[in-house]
Amino acid sequence: MTEDVRGLLAEACALYRDSPRAAASLHEALNHLDEPLRVGITGAAGTGKSTLAAALGETRSLRDLALVDDPAASVLTDATVRLLRHLEPDELASAHPAARSAFARQTAVDTVLVLARADETGAGRIDALLTAKQLARRAWREDPLCSGAQGVIAVAAQLAYGARAFTDDEFELLAAFAAVPREELERYLLSVDAFTDPAFPGPVSVDTRRSLVSRFGLFGVKLALTLIRTGSDSRVKLSTELVRRSGLGELRDTVAGCFAARAEALKARTAVVRLETVLQNEPRPGSDRLETRVERFAATAHDFTELRLIADIRGGRTALSGEPADEAARLLGAQGTTPEERLGLDFETDPREVYAAGADAVLRWRHEAERQDRPPAERAAAHVVVRSAEGVLALFA
Amino acid sequence: MHGGHSFDVTAPAWLEVLDETLDACRSHGREDLVQRLRRRRDRPPGVTRIAVLGFPKQGKGYLVNAVLNAPVCSVGDAATPAVPVEIGFSAQPTATLVGRADERVPVPVERLTGELGARPPGSLRRVEVGVPRELLSAGLVLVDTPAIGDPRSPRTAAALDVLADADAVVLVSDATTPLGEAEVALAHHVRTWCPHVVVALTKIDVCPSWRAVAERDRALLSNAGIDSPVLPVSATVRMAAAKASDQDLNSRSGFPPLLAWIAEQAARPPEHTSAVLAALSVRAAAAELVETLRARAELAGQDAGVDQTTLLHRAQRKADELRKRNTRWQNLLADEIADLQSDAEYDLRERTRKIVETIDETFDKGDPVKVWDEFGPWLDKTLAEAVETNYNFTADRAEWIAQAVAAAFGAQYDLHDLRLGESGAELIADVRQPRIEGFKIGQKLFTGLRGSYGGVLMFGLVTSLAGLPLINPVSLGAGAAFAAKTISDEGGMRLQRRQAVAKMTAQRHVDDVFLRFSKECRDAIRGVQRKLRDHFTALAEELADQLARERETIIAGSAERERRMVKLRREIERLAGLHQRAGELGVLAGRAPRELPA
Repeated sequence: MTEDVRGLLAEACALYRDSPRAAASLHEALNHLDEPLRVGITGAAGTGKSTLAAALGETRSLRDLALVDDPAASVLTDATVRLLRHLEPDELASAHPAARSAFARQTAVDTVLVLARADETGAGRIDALLTAKQLARRAWREDPLCSGAQGVIAVAAQLAYGARAFTDDEFELLAAFAAVPREELERYLLSVDAFTDPAFPGPVSVDTRRSLVSRFGLFGVKLALTLIRTGSDSRVKLSTELVRRSGLGELRDTVAGCFAARAEALKARTAVVRLETVLQNEPRPGSDRLETRVERFAATAHDFTELRLIADIRGGRTALSGEPADEAARLLGAQGTTPEERLGLDFETDPREVYAAGADAVLRWRHEAERQDRPPAERAAAHVVVRSAEGVLALFA
Repeated sequence: MHGGHSFDVTAPAWLEVLDETLDACRSHGREDLVQRLRRRRDRPPGVTRIAVLGFPKQGKGYLVNAVLNAPVCSVGDAATPAVPVEIGFSAQPTATLVGRADERVPVPVERLTGELGARPPGSLRRVEVGVPRELLSAGLVLVDTPAIGDPRSPRTAAALDVLADADAVVLVSDATTPLGEAEVALAHHVRTWCPHVVVALTKIDVCPSWRAVAERDRALLSNAGIDSPVLPVSATVRMAAAKASDQDLNSRSGFPPLLAWIAEQAARPPEHTSAVLAALSVRAAAAELVETLRARAELAGQDAGVDQTTLLHRAQRKADELRKRNTRWQNLLADEIADLQSDAEYDLRERTRKIVETIDETFDKGDPVKVWDEFGPWLDKTLAEAVETNYNFTADRAEWIAQAVAAAFGAQYDLHDLRLGESGAELIADVRQPRIEGFKIGQKLFTGLRGSYGGVLMFGLVTSLAGLPLINPVSLGAGAAFAAKTISDEGGMRLQRRQAVAKMTAQRHVDDVFLRFSKECRDAIRGVQRKLRDHFTALAEELADQLARERETIIAGSAERERRMVKLRREIERLAGLHQRAGELGVLAGRAPRELPA
């Protein structure tokens, strides 16, 4: 796919070599094909973009991509993690990207929405993260404004960032607080002011407490104390549990599965969108031929169809559910795009067995696709799955 | 709080100014301002209304609940009502839904949220809740408003509408971020209509930096010329204090100053409040009116220096352009519709042809008796699908044409009128089962007997020459062979006949469907063409009329234009006078409203 796009762009460069602006923007796109995938983190002021970028940046599975905190409009980005405060309709409407061209609209698979500062949901009660998760889930399922997103995920970035870099001192401190009887401590956990009040029981200084609350947030401190009391009694355990609850893991998996695993396709897409913009802005004789090729590229690029269908299945916008939905998402490459990952097999599996499993999947899904008693949309979805499974078989030919 | 002697003098004075402004608003067609001013005039004495206003998710509900120490408003991620909730005093908790036509439906307080959710949106005007709280007993009413958001949404309109009755406003903004641009603009708007505004900075319990945010907010407000105090509060702390009856904690929640401010609003002498409110409303209304009039005057002023010939030329050019545009869109519409007609028909023909091919293939090999049960439903479904797809294709193209024509016309077109009806694919009659029957046992027996006769006779005669009887094993064997041959020949013939009948029936059915739906499709396309033509012709005519009127005024000469300018200017002066007088009234009532710019 990348080679196709490279050829397309080279031809376009030749056609536009006398227009400095077009040539420069095409060359930039061409060079970007060899750079790592660029994921922009965007959102209004005060949504915690930098914190989230820092928390995601330390993740090992996202090593191969470049995270750009609040990218300028001129920077080429291949995918976007967009931070929202409340998932209000106005906010969502402004987050809905205005597609620049037909191709960009057809293949809009480059956005993940994040309900940022999830720890502030529901006045920061102890179940705030759970409520936030449900809100995000519901918005993804029901809100038509969320339909183009690869995911709507609630994340408490500050908590996640703090918990990833937990120090032993901080754990000792929290464990000491947790040892104080709950009733005695309760009134000091009501507000930041109370927590940093000089009357706080124990020998810990006000400054230490202040740094603690500014690193984890008041909600984070409360959650950590509750977790320590209910059994997370070591630093590693507590850190893992906090990260798990913060929603960072879910976001990381989505970014890895939908963006990092599809880096080539997304970069090719960025280049083609750039090319299409140039063709639109400066039409000239010969450019209509390129337009036709762009259209052909859009029609044949199966990756984008797969990503869209994965988003629809996970967002509950298809009739699939339960076991078949999981299998469809896996075959579409939601958990990785190698044949073994698509078929849910171990990496050491005998190739013949892999082939047999692939052939079996093709047969079963083709049967689904041909069933007359299913609505056309469902059959179309099954066709996409068949095409993916056939792609697996084609690798063995 | 000020000398009471002036009240008897000011009361009629503000009424007079208010009425005059009301007339001015009405004569300039600003019905919204008229409504607001009228509500100010008819404001019931003895009731102080405090509105709680703010953007979504800032903690309005929590704030109101904490002020009253009662769970009155729905909070959290539950859907907040799209109508204002008025909370007043009553000895027992009550709740009443007030509908669009002022019908009142009392509901149990605990079921309020559910009842609100069950009503269709737009059917309610407001909700009235009564709670036994001492704070409200002096005729104080708190109004919790829907969240401000999209300026065009009915929610925002309902929230801002509350301003016309409010004596004071609590603006809610949370401490996680400083006031945004939109919030400052909202504060400014509120301040022009309402004299007493306070900003409640909520959620200070979770924000370590709330002190800095409060300072920033104060600076932002004073830069925008809004003299409102900023009171930091925490509803969570206040509720914990109420639970534990802890005075110290209560004072830390920041609520006592807010409650004092609310009590102060309720304690103002009513006459004084009326005068200040009236003065302020008159100033706000006059300022808004002057703004529109000035824009109009400027527009008229642009033409002032240009002579008649140039103006006529300009009008002529516009008319020419309109004519060109008319030809353009008419041609485009005719071409596109003709293309669509032929494309749609070709598409349907192509699809039905494919179906007929499959029919032929099926019955070249298959036996209708065996396959018809499966074939009939398949044919029905495939035909329905073909018709449906063809219809969707037509509908999409029609929308596209509407947009293209609108673009050629240089106008927007609302696609809602263009929706085609249902495709009617489900109305297709099922294919009729043809009269086909298998080769039954009785018939086979008869045919077999008939065939065997010849065999027995032929071989019997030959073998009788060899001295055997007519009926011998050889002749019987030959009879059996002849019988089998005849049966299989007859069976093949019957199969061919059945296949031909089935083919014909199916093909005729497909033809019928094609005939009917190509006609319907054609009609739908004609309908679209008519609709678009009527719409844009009307639009073009309107534009032409407008141009003709413009021409007339140009010909009528500059005197007319001059006269209109003078009239506009005089209106502006009159409103400026009203504005001035309202200002004086405000000063008399003990408060100096800020000078409005220009």
